Amino acid sequence: MLFRVARSREGGKITHYDLYKIQEKKGMTILDGLFQIQDRMDPSLAFRYSCRGAVCGSCAMLIDKEPRLACRTQILAVKDEALKLKPFPPLTDAPPGWDKKTEILIEPLPNLPILKDLVVDMTKFYKSLEDLKLWMEPLESKHPRLQSPDEREVIRRYVNCIMCAICYGSCPVNFENEEYVGPAALAKAFRFEQDSRTTDPERYGEAARKSNGAPLCDLVMNCVKACPKGVAPGGAIRKLKQ
Amino acid sequence: MYIYSEEEKNRVIYDHDALIIGAGLSGLRVAIELAQKHDVAILTKVQALRSHSVAAQGGINAALREDDSWEMHAFDTVKGSDYLADQDAVEILTQEAPRAVIENELWGTAFSRTPTGNIAQRPFGGAGYPRTCYAADRTGHNLLHTTFEQAMRLGIKFYDEFFATSLVRDDNRIVGVTALEISSGAVHGFTAKAVVVATGGFGRVYARSTNALINTGDGCALALRVGVPLKDMEFVQFHPTTLYGSSILITEGARGEGGHLLNAKGKRFMGKYAPDKMELAPRDIVARAIRTEVLEGRGFEGRYVHLDLTHLGKDRIMERLPGIREICVHFAGIDPIDEPIPVLPGQHYSMGGIDCDKYGNTTLPGLFAVGEAACMSVHGANRLGGNSLLETLVFGRVVGQKVIEYLGSAKSPSKQVVDDEAYRIREKLQTMTIKEQGESLHELRTKLTEAMDDYVGVFRNANDIKKALKVIREVRIGFENLALGEMDQRFNYSLIRALELENMIDLAESIAQGALMRKESRGAHWRVDYPNRNDEKFLKHSLATLTPEGIKISYKDVNLGRFEVKERMY
Ligand SMILES: Cc1cc2nc3c(=O)[nH]c(=O)nc-3n(C[C@H](O)[C@H](O)[C@H](O)COP(=O)(O)OP(=O)(O)OC[C@H]3O[C@@H](n4cnc5c(N)ncnc54)[C@H](O)[C@@H]3O)c2cc1C
Ligand code: SF4
Ligand code: FES
Repeated sequence: MLFRVARSREGGKITHYDLYKIQEKKGMTILDGLFQIQDRMDPSLAFRYSCRGAVCGSCAMLIDKEPRLACRTQILAVKDEALKLKPFPPLTDAPPGWDKKTEILIEPLPNLPILKDLVVDMTKFYKSLEDLKLWMEPLESKHPRLQSPDEREVIRRYVNCIMCAICYGSCPVNFENEEYVGPAALAKAFRFEQDSRTTDPERYGEAARKSNGAPLCDLVMNCVKACPKGVAPGGAIRKLKQ
Repeated sequence: MYIYSEEEKNRVIYDHDALIIGAGLSGLRVAIELAQKHDVAILTKVQALRSHSVAAQGGINAALREDDSWEMHAFDTVKGSDYLADQDAVEILTQEAPRAVIENELWGTAFSRTPTGNIAQRPFGGAGYPRTCYAADRTGHNLLHTTFEQAMRLGIKFYDEFFATSLVRDDNRIVGVTALEISSGAVHGFTAKAVVVATGGFGRVYARSTNALINTGDGCALALRVGVPLKDMEFVQFHPTTLYGSSILITEGARGEGGHLLNAKGKRFMGKYAPDKMELAPRDIVARAIRTEVLEGRGFEGRYVHLDLTHLGKDRIMERLPGIREICVHFAGIDPIDEPIPVLPGQHYSMGGIDCDKYGNTTLPGLFAVGEAACMSVHGANRLGGNSLLETLVFGRVVGQKVIEYLGSAKSPSKQVVDDEAYRIREKLQTMTIKEQGESLHELRTKLTEAMDDYVGVFRNANDIKKALKVIREVRIGFENLALGEMDQRFNYSLIRALELENMIDLAESIAQGALMRKESRGAHWRVDYPNRNDEKFLKHSLATLTPEGIKISYKDVNLGRFEVKERMY
């Protein structure tokens, strides 16, 4: 299999693409392929990783024009899977020379500044968590609170978010509007608002409904399709908008 | 190539009262304790949420119910440790456990619940009571995100993607740290009165490990190099059930929920090894049982056995083990609702670590250790599942309090010493990146980690361990002649991986030396040539120190206590 990998030594924009021949084996992931390049062909290739098990959220990138976790994407299955996202420029502008049939195209996650090769600047993404104050105010108590299984079920899908920013990179609104806090932060705000244990649910809803939040969402639902953890931020945002 | 500008060479050093290396659960918890009183910062090679704590699945132990008690929890822990744990430290761990779990619940962690709304608890290997609290099979994820939220709330300063390159010692105290800023390639000095090492485990010393790729034990190696001993390094836990191929963990929770282990003859074999506890016997026993089945020819493809969940049914699997199902589908193409999971033992947890007491004090004043990087020791020769997440939160708080005490009387450190050390590291990195021809990083790493798998694994003997030590020496020599290839200064991950390998060489040697010298079998350390436990000689912690001739091993006493040393039977 051939990997066509976007390169950017100084960051800012993709300067060119390098082509590598990967020795693939059954069960190999895109991340394994990138390590093969770094280990044997090109030690300068930069990409983030940590858990290799789809739980740490480090390795989001654009794979064949779809935002995915490199460690959870099987090389042999890439060509058969399609997220069917609503198109916007980073998902449609293909580099010249890319042979879709024989090459896997690997590019940095869209909508965040490129720092080097496949590494993007996540500052904006993290900052929205702080701006919206997405934490619980701690209670002083000797006892845990009660929460029924049904009450927990309400927040279950939202607490599963691994902060990989795939939703952010798949969203046409984030592409057009630098201000938009993006789907993950809003889903997290909804998680706190809906948590039966929260003492001040209004604060999260209010933060999420500020002008750079839920009102900007066009309910495109790319985030729902692309999220690797089934978080479905779009559903939360729809409810936040009401 | 690394060429530093004048400005970089004269960089002002950063200064904090306390500097924590590591943003996993233990580092975050220490920082939270310190934040209100002191100027504290966390330095971490990956952003906090990418720390390995996020991957913990099964749960966290605490005696929450009335018919359970901290004493019962302590007994299980000490027995599980094969009596090598320090009982004074275990008392703190188990007494403080409910507080740690409740604190995280109050911070917002979404624990799974019983029908009446209490925190749900499941049975876990080696425990006499179902006391493992969990958040589905994503317990570490939930605890880490929640604890990080609280660190954000307190406005704690993070140096994200800074790789610690050395600890700085001035005479008989710690004065700071040097670190490589991954985004720029610059080396910075940090002065601090107190430094806390919370860099996690070193599973990647082995080729087949459930650990994150970043778990290379950097902090332990840095401590060793400033003269601080490592303790009980030979005790490496192998998890009995890792997914064949990628070594991703299949939680013990899968057996807790009723999963069966089957050999290639389709027989449930645990009855032969642990008739009472069956699949829920402690990890070392289950790991050896699986290895024995495979070695005696009853494995599939001569490699693995089956973990069968199919009888649990779709609903139970979807509700209790959704993460496991996802892993099987995405990393092995198998749906455990329909088919058994191929599993085999793999490296999982590092019981050993930086030698410290129950307050995190190391032998170097001002240097503290906590979490998986530390060895207090609460796990002894074998950790019980659910006790290490607990260790991070309980001792994060305890160590934080001790750091506060220490800061009360500590003097300001010398900037000059830190500056000189930063200069030395810059020169070292320049030399490392300048070479164009030489050994390959990838080959050296593979050679080292495969030797550890093959010769210092589940079953050990003197001959094999000596083979490992020979390979380690060869890799050490090879490393001197390492050529990284054409290099950038910014985001140079090959350089990072080379520094990690350098650290792993020292740790591998400590593990192998410790294993060679410990001529007995205890907990996770199983010597085929010495199959019995020998309390007379080895009811002792081993200490590894770095000398010009390599790693040297000495011993010190275990803190015994209320529980009498007995044979460990399940
Ligand atoms: C797959 C898996 C499942 C597990 N499940 C459970 C479970 O169910 N229950 C349980 O109790 N335990 C479990 N454990 C064990 C438990 O997760 C760990 O022991 C614990 O999370 C360790 O936390 P820590 O804070 O000590 O280290 P980590 O979470 O590993 O954090 C280490 C930190 O140090 C930083 N760091 C490392 N080196 C450097 C450097 N050179 N410079 C700067 N920063 C550095 C990293 O960036 C990271 O932030 C599991 C472990 C594994 C592998
Ligand atoms: S909502 Fe999904 S896609 Fe977005 S950050 Fe969370 S896990 Fe990633
Ligand atoms: S490496 Fe952790 S999600 Fe891919």
